[in-house]
This record gives sequence, structure tokens and C-alpha cells, in this order.
Amino acid sequence: MASDPSSPGQSTPQTPTEKPSTPPVNILSSPVSRVYSIIHPALLLALGAAHFETLVANPTKGLLNSLPWLTLSQILYVVICLPPAGSTETTAPADGKSSSRSPGPASRHGKHGKRKQHVNSWTCIWSRLLPAFLALALTFALATPALAALLVLFGAPLTTHNIETILGAAHLAVLSATALIYTHGLDRSVWNEVWGIARPADAVWGSALGTGLGAWFGAIPIPLDWDRPWQAFPITILTGAYIGYAVGSFVARTPFVFGKRIIFAAEDVDDAEKKSN
Amino acid sequence: MGFYATVIANLLIPVGILVFSSGFFPYKPLIPGLATLETDDAAPAIFDKVIFMVVDALRSDFVYSNESGFQFTQSLIRSGAALPFTAYAGSPTVTMPRLKAITTGSVPSFLDVILNIAESDTSSTLAYQDTWLAQLKATGGRLVMYGDDTWLKLFPGMFDRADGTTSFFVSDFTEVDQNVTRHVSDELAQDDWSAFIMHYLGLDHIGHKAGPKSPFMVPKQHEMDDVVNEIYTALQREQHLQSTLFVLCGDHGMNEAGNHGGSSAGETSPALLFMSPKFETLGGRESPVEPSGDMAYYKTVEQADIAPTLAGLLGVPIPLNSLGVFIPDFLGMWNQSMYWSLKGHSGLGLTLAIGSHQIRIQYQNAKQLLNTLTTTFPGSSFDPASIAPCESGAASGIEGAQCAWARVQHILADGPKTYPHPAAGPALAQFSKTAQDVMSRTASNYDVSRLGLGLLITALAALFVLPTTVRECTRRGPPGLFLTMMVIAYGVMMFASSYVEEEQQFWYWICSGWVFYLYIKSQSARPGRTRSDIVSWSGPCSILLLAICQRLLRRWNQTGQKFAAEPDIAHTFFGRHPEIFWALLALTYLDAGHGLVRNMRLPGPYKLGALVPAVLAFTFKVHFVASESPELLDGTFISHIVKEWPYTMSLVLHARLVFYALAIVTLPALLGSKFCSSVQGRLSLLKYHLLPWSAWLITDTAPHESIHAALHVFLMTQSRATNIPLFLLFRVTARILSSMDLTGIEVTITTMIFQYMTFFAFGGSNAISSVDLASAYNGVGSYNVGLVGVLTFVSNWAGPIWWASQSHRLRPRGVHNAAALLTFHVAMSTVSVMAACTALRTHLFIWTVFSPKYLYSMAWAIPNHVAVNLLAEVVFSQGQAS
Repeated sequence: MASDPSSPGQSTPQTPTEKPSTPPVNILSSPVSRVYSIIHPALLLALGAAHFETLVANPTKGLLNSLPWLTLSQILYVVICLPPAGSTETTAPADGKSSSRSPGPASRHGKHGKRKQHVNSWTCIWSRLLPAFLALALTFALATPALAALLVLFGAPLTTHNIETILGAAHLAVLSATALIYTHGLDRSVWNEVWGIARPADAVWGSALGTGLGAWFGAIPIPLDWDRPWQAFPITILTGAYIGYAVGSFVARTPFVFGKRIIFAAEDVDDAEKKSN
Repeated sequence: MGFYATVIANLLIPVGILVFSSGFFPYKPLIPGLATLETDDAAPAIFDKVIFMVVDALRSDFVYSNESGFQFTQSLIRSGAALPFTAYAGSPTVTMPRLKAITTGSVPSFLDVILNIAESDTSSTLAYQDTWLAQLKATGGRLVMYGDDTWLKLFPGMFDRADGTTSFFVSDFTEVDQNVTRHVSDELAQDDWSAFIMHYLGLDHIGHKAGPKSPFMVPKQHEMDDVVNEIYTALQREQHLQSTLFVLCGDHGMNEAGNHGGSSAGETSPALLFMSPKFETLGGRESPVEPSGDMAYYKTVEQADIAPTLAGLLGVPIPLNSLGVFIPDFLGMWNQSMYWSLKGHSGLGLTLAIGSHQIRIQYQNAKQLLNTLTTTFPGSSFDPASIAPCESGAASGIEGAQCAWARVQHILADGPKTYPHPAAGPALAQFSKTAQDVMSRTASNYDVSRLGLGLLITALAALFVLPTTVRECTRRGPPGLFLTMMVIAYGVMMFASSYVEEEQQFWYWICSGWVFYLYIKSQSARPGRTRSDIVSWSGPCSILLLAICQRLLRRWNQTGQKFAAEPDIAHTFFGRHPEIFWALLALTYLDAGHGLVRNMRLPGPYKLGALVPAVLAFTFKVHFVASESPELLDGTFISHIVKEWPYTMSLVLHARLVFYALAIVTLPALLGSKFCSSVQGRLSLLKYHLLPWSAWLITDTAPHESIHAALHVFLMTQSRATNIPLFLLFRVTARILSSMDLTGIEVTITTMIFQYMTFFAFGGSNAISSVDLASAYNGVGSYNVGLVGVLTFVSNWAGPIWWASQSHRLRPRGVHNAAALLTFHVAMSTVSVMAACTALRTHLFIWTVFSPKYLYSMAWAIPNHVAVNLLAEVVFSQGQAS
């Protein structure tokens, strides 16, 4: 990903500037959450692989069939692994900061310390399921049309393949937006950062960015003259998006990247230059 | 230091290209002289005269399909008097190399493509090569020729009577052909010629202008069919035409856009018919028919096969360098009853007794091919003593040919003495076919040391500007990195044939990424935005507009190979909604006129005078469309105006008026500026000596504005009508970009991407066939290589030229070495194309994909980079800095 021209800033990351903005999101500290957060991207890849054949044979059917499974596993993921918007925000930052410096002790704490019992409590589950379903609703209502428009702007056909585009956008939206909405709600400052590609790196933002980049790179094999059925429009893009999701989610969690932002740092130099001339 | 490095690099690039080209496009070794018949060898001639009628771009389906206008010709196919074929014409499918293939039977080198465009070149003449024309001439016959003057250039002094027509005036559909047809009845009455050649150009012109589905196409086919009818009737009626062979063929076909040069099925499948009442004994065929493959009607033969077939039928020796195989369907013209004995291959000392003229024809053909083969492969031996005869024909390449020849020898030596061995014919045919395959594949050999040297020189040029480029790129992280990645990705891509064919996809893809970068940059630049400027030119909505413009650009013209037939805006949408097209066109001209008025430095009321060129340009375009592609006018309000309008002006004069008006309007702006008051800086000396006239261009930025406004109108005049609304998109895009506060390197990258992207958006591709010649003759009265060359370049590179000029309007003042960056990019892309051509020189697609790409990268490097980009740098950069 660091070699990607569209986000060159990733190779020149900076330490997070201390702005009063929402800090990076941490995976919940319980062992179940930690383990599942590792399994989940692999699970999604497996899901994608399982549906690949149907997808190639009949893109619309493949997209439609895999969408419920994708949605289900994303809900499972956000409910198990992520703090919902608002409720845990007060505890998450402190936790997050300590683990951003050294995630090791936190996980050890989770393993050897007293196990938290609230995971099984129904109220707790409900307090997470409700935001998860809200996030899902917003994903389909807002993020899907927005991503469909983006797909078209990036070259998806407008006059044909409309169903594929919409369904593809739905997949991209569930991959990228559900977790973002679940963890941040409709916090304006966070969404400004999202639109500006200026969020600090964490599992949620990393996978969202990875999804987008993967989709962009997924367009590469389409013009090749191999005449394979999988070169048809939404297939490679979604494959790229799934792989990008997994890669982004892992890379953003590594200690070296976690919490850092993509900075387009050239501004000040240029301003100075312009004035000097 | 950086400046001189850039200058040296730009001197090295053309040198590198020249050296590489000299190794890549070599002249082939040819056997000099004329072939002669061994006196008692000859099979009797079936015909003593030939009428050779070439209809340029006569694709197979134009004659054979259901929609054809060749009704009379089809009736001849049914009666058997015409033998129909599809003649495979290899790439490059342009006229001159194809005529070489037809007359010499050889496979022309790719160099002929360039020579086809630079027609004045005389080194490409066939005067000293063996052709069936030369053979007929040698027997004492007279030759006459009417039509495309390419023949006269190829065969200087060959024809006793001739009237050439110029093939480059593609706007002329009728006169070129009338100039041929008016000679037909006179020549048919004469009995002094042994070859009567006609070359009709009108059908090709229609293709270039309006494509194979043009409403002019079927009437033109009827016209050609009438000529066939007239000639065939004369063959039946006239005593002196009793044994005359009539050949009708296309030199190449055309693709669905009506262009040619590449290797798609449509381009490589011209029709070929041999006609004579004598053929009726061979039996008729069904007609019209459905094609058996893509454009493949009846039997497919090689275009090179025409030469030996004609030679055999006319009883003259096969041209020395021919790679053709006698078309076996005509063997039936010789009956089996005659026996003859052959004093075999002189070196072999064998006495072969093989019979029948059929075998004799095939044996002559095989011997001639063997001769060519041994010239090309001097190392390999065809002495039967040294090769063991092999049973299977599985071996390929030169070994396969050796093996096949050994088998021929074996059969001829062992066969019965009085009657031909039944296997002799097939064995000869197999050898001929193998020899043809081997020779076609090794049709050119490269000078690898020159390839390497050219590559090295160009790489050295890149190395010279590398330090400056690295400095520019590292100074600003993200754009520099983006540029580096782009150069690397482009270089890698040049090795994949499908990415070369679909290069537009790369630029569209890169452009979408770059627009996204610009969006992020604009987002991060202004964290505290207020609601009010969300809809301003610099707000996020403007980026959205930029992305929409970019998206419209990429759909404007479908280009490349894979998606070329998909619907697009210029053809499909405007075809269905001509009103929208005309509204957009008018809007674009209004905007251009507004730009002219605003940027002209004229006193108040005279400013309106600046509207004159815009009005002239608009009426010229309407005039042009009305006469060239009237289908765009159907059912629109413009068509009524055009009907009422009394045309008194020729297109040539009209175009000239536009050009003159543009020049007049720009001149006062230029002369009125302060006369070289502030010429200073490092470039001033160079300019003073090399380009003294540029001194008055550079003193102020305002002249640049007026030059740009005039250039805008000029480029619109040189573009296809359906592409003109793109200039409106350009204006919108440029307006958004100029409000974005881009840094120097960002402007350079943006305009570089837009240069490439717009080239493809205008319908360009890396195939020779996409060269647009429609506007190449605007205002040109008589053929002039230089002028037509410049106009052709401008009409194909209109987008890149516009953005080269625009780049100087966007660039902020500051130290930024754009020339070095542009030089680095062009040197690197040329190096990668050269490396791909060198590494893949034996690749199947070398002549169809990589060589055309090399020609295009030459055009990008020399006219576009050196003549447009750098000239703009020299002329305008000083004006910016002062």
C-alpha cells in the first residue's frame, strides 16, 4: 500500500498532531474481540472466495447472494470488536492511547487479568446491536448511493451495468462505511476527517481506506486481452476491495502505523516560496 | 547547470530516436534483377492481357455480403466467371506497402508506413525491383495506369499512358473516381496495352470521412459495379480482349470507424476477384454469402499470392522476391493431357520426368521460393543429400521448409517417369506454404547494436535531467512520488501488448487517482471552511465538477481495441441527439468568441472585431459538416439554415479566411505590447539568437492570453466537429484548476496527464488507423508535405497542444523547472517503448502493436515534446518570471 501513488503520504507519515479530534479507535480489549478482529478479515476473504465462482458466472446473482453474508459478518464484527459511537467513547481513548504506544501489555492484561464478564450480558449486546443496525441502515441509505456515484466518477459504466454498480457500491459501503458509522456515529469532525482522508490510522479507518484503494487498483486487469470472464466490470474491483480491506485493517493496526495520519505536507513550503517571488 | 543538462538531454532524445529507428526499420536485402524463364519450362499462358482494377479499401463484405452494391459482380460469381477470394493483407494496412505486396509478392517492411506518409520519398520506388509489371514490360508489353498516383511514384517511367490522382484529398468522393472512369472506354478500345491498371480512391475517402456505414457507401459500390460491368461486357464483346484477365481487388479493408493501418479483421480482409469468361468452366459459386469467419468470405489467400498467380496465368516468370503461392484454384485452367520432362534442379543433376502443366506451375513457384529462401538463410542447405527426408510436416521454421523440400525431391525422383506422382502436387504445395510462412515471419531483421545504441543515448538523456527531476520531486513529497510511480508504471506497461493497445485506460485511471489527490489536497488545505464557499470555484463542488468533466472526457470517444465498438458520446449519443450536439457546438463557439473578445488588446469598439474569426470558424465548421458528414445535420434546425444558405465559397478558401482572421486578430495584441522591455534571465540569450521573433511574444502575460484564445479557436477548427464541445469541458476544467492554488510541480503533472488523456479522449490510440486525416487539408489547395504534416499533427494532438498552452496560464510564479520534468518523462517513456521493442522484437505483435506504439512515441517525443512543450516553455516562461 505504501507504494500507492494516490496516497503517497503514507510513506511520509507523521506523528499525530495533537488536535482536538477524535482519537483512533481501538479494538475492544476482551480476548474474544481481539481474536475475532484477527479472524474477521480472513473470514471476509474466505466469504469472497466462496462466492467468487457465482460472481464470475453471474455478477448480479453473486453480488446479491454474498451481500447478506457480508452484512451479517460485518455486524458480528462491529458488535464483537468495536466500541459503538458515544457509549464507550469515554473509556476508549485512554485505553487506545496506552495501547497505541505499546499494544503488548494491554493484550497481556486481557489474557491474564480478571476476565470481564459483561460480554455475555444481554443489555450490553443490545446496546451494541442497536447502533449496529442503525449503522447498517445509514450504510444502505447514504453510503451506498454516494459510493455508487464515486464508482461512476472513477469510470464505472453509467448507461449499462447499473445493477452491478449499485450492488458493488453496497458491498464497498458495507465493507468501509458500516464500521465507521458504528464507531463514530454522525460526528461532524470525524466525517470531515474522513472526507479529507485525514483520519488517524486504526483498524476501522485502515480497512475503509484499504477498501477504496483496493477497488482503485482492482481496475488494473480489466483492459488486458485475456478474455477471461472474471475481467468483467465489478468483479476485479470488488476483489481488490476485499483484499484491500484485509490488508488495510492489518496494516493500520501495526504499531508503526497506528494513530498516524496521511499528511500532504507541501503547503507551507509553497506558500513561503510564492511570497518570496 | 540544470538548464544546460535539459538542453543537452533534448538534443540527445532526437539523436537516440534516429539511431534506434535506423536499426529498427532496416531496408531488407533484395534479390536484384528480373527473373527469367528457362525456355522449355514454361506452361502456356492462359491470358495475354490483364486489367487490374484496385478499389482502395474494398473490404470483402462490400462485394460479397447481402448489403453489397456489387450486384453485377455477384452475378458473375454465380455464373463462375468470377473467382472470389478474401485476400489477407498483413499489417501495415496502408496503400503503399499493400501495392508493394500485390506487385512484388513480398511482405513489405514497416518502414513503408512512414514512407507512405512521406510520399515524396523516392527510395521506396519499385523501379529496380522485380514485379509482374516489370515482367510484362520486359516481354514488350505496354502498360497504362489511371488513378492513385502512388503507382506512378512506385513505378516511375513504367507506364506508357497514365493519369494520376492524389490520394491525400480525403474530402473528395466523386472527382477522384470520375478522373479514372472517363479513361475506361477509350482504353478498352485500344489494343496496344498488356496491362491496364486502375486505382479508385473514392470508397476509401468515404470510409475515412464517414465509415463503412456511410450513406455514400452503397451508391459508391454501385458506381464501381457499373465499371466492372462495362469492362466485363467489353471482354465478352471485343475481339482484341478475347484472352484478357480482369482482376478486381482492394488493397486493404477498413475497420468499423472507416480507418485502416492496423490489423483488425476488417482492415486485413480486402476482396479479391479474378474475372474472365474462360473461368466459367471452373463452375459457379453461391453469392451473396455469409462470411465463414470475421470478414472471411470464400477462400482466404495471402495478398502476396496475387503476384505468382498473375505470373502463372500470364505466362511470365514469378517476381524474384515473391513470397506468394500460386492459388491452386486456377490449376484447373491447364488440362492434364500434356506431358513434359524436366531437366531438374541444375545443382542436383536429377532428371525428373514429371507431367502436366499444373505440376510445372507449382514447381516453378516452389523453385522461386527456394531461391528467396536460400538468399535469406544463406546458412541452411537444401541439398537433399544433407537432409534426411522426414515424413511428418510437424517441424516448423526453416527446418520445416528443408524437410518439405526434401520430400518434394524424394517424390519427384522416385515417381513414375511418364505421369506425375499423385503426391507431387500436395508436396509442392506444402513446401510453398511452409516457405511462405517462414519468410513472412522473418520479413525483417534488426540491427541490434543500433537498437542498443539508440536506447543508450535516450537513457543518457533521461540521466542528464535526473538530478533536476529528483530535486523537483523530493522538494514536494506526494506529487513527486506520484510522478515517479506514474513513470515506472508507464514503463512497465509498455511491455504488455494489451496495455499498449488500451493505453487510454492507463491515463484515465491515473487521472481519476490524480483528481482524487487534488481533492484531498484541497480538503486538507482549508480546514476551516465556511458554508459559503462550498459552491465557489474552489469548493468541493468544483472538484466534483472536475471529476464529472474528467468522466465525460473518457467516455467521449471509445478508442483502443477491446472496447472500441461500445457506445460513446461522440458517435452514439450525438448520433441520436444531434440537437444537443449543435447546441453544445454553438455554446463552445460562443465561449471561444467571448474569450477572443476579452483577451484581445484592442480599443473598445474594435474589440468586437475579434468576434470575426469566431464567426468565421463556426460557419466553417457548419460548412465542413454539411459537406463531409451531413448525417449530423439530419432533422436539426441547422439543416434548414444550411439549405437556405447560398454557398459561394469553397472549403479551402473558407478555412484560409479563418486562419487569416485569427492571425490578424492576434497581431495587434502582439505588436502593441511593450517591445522586449524586460528580456532577461538565462534563456534570453538563446532566444535572442535562435528565436528573435519570440522576443515580442514574451514581454507580458497578456499576449499569451490572446495567443491562447486564438489557439483555442485554431485547435477547434482542426478538430472533428463532434470533438469540439470537448473544448468547453477544457475551459471548465482549466477554470477549476486555476482556482485551486496548485504548486508548480502539480501544474506540470496535471497538464502532463491531461495532455495524454485528451489525446485519447479525442479518439487517438496507438494504432496507425486512428490517425485522423479529415482536417489535414483545411485551407490547403495543393498537396504540400510540410503543411499537411503540420495540420495532421495539430488535428491529432489538439488536446495536448491546448494543455501545453494552458499549463503556462495555471503555473504559479516561482522557481520550477517544468522543462526538466517533461523531458525526464518523455525520455523515460521513449526508453521504455524502445526497450519493449528491442526485447519483444520477435513477438507476434511486434508489427501490429509495438511498432505503431514506437511511431507514436516518436510523435510524442519530437513534435509534441520538443516542438510544442519546449517551445511553449521558451516562449512563455520568461513572460511569467519577469
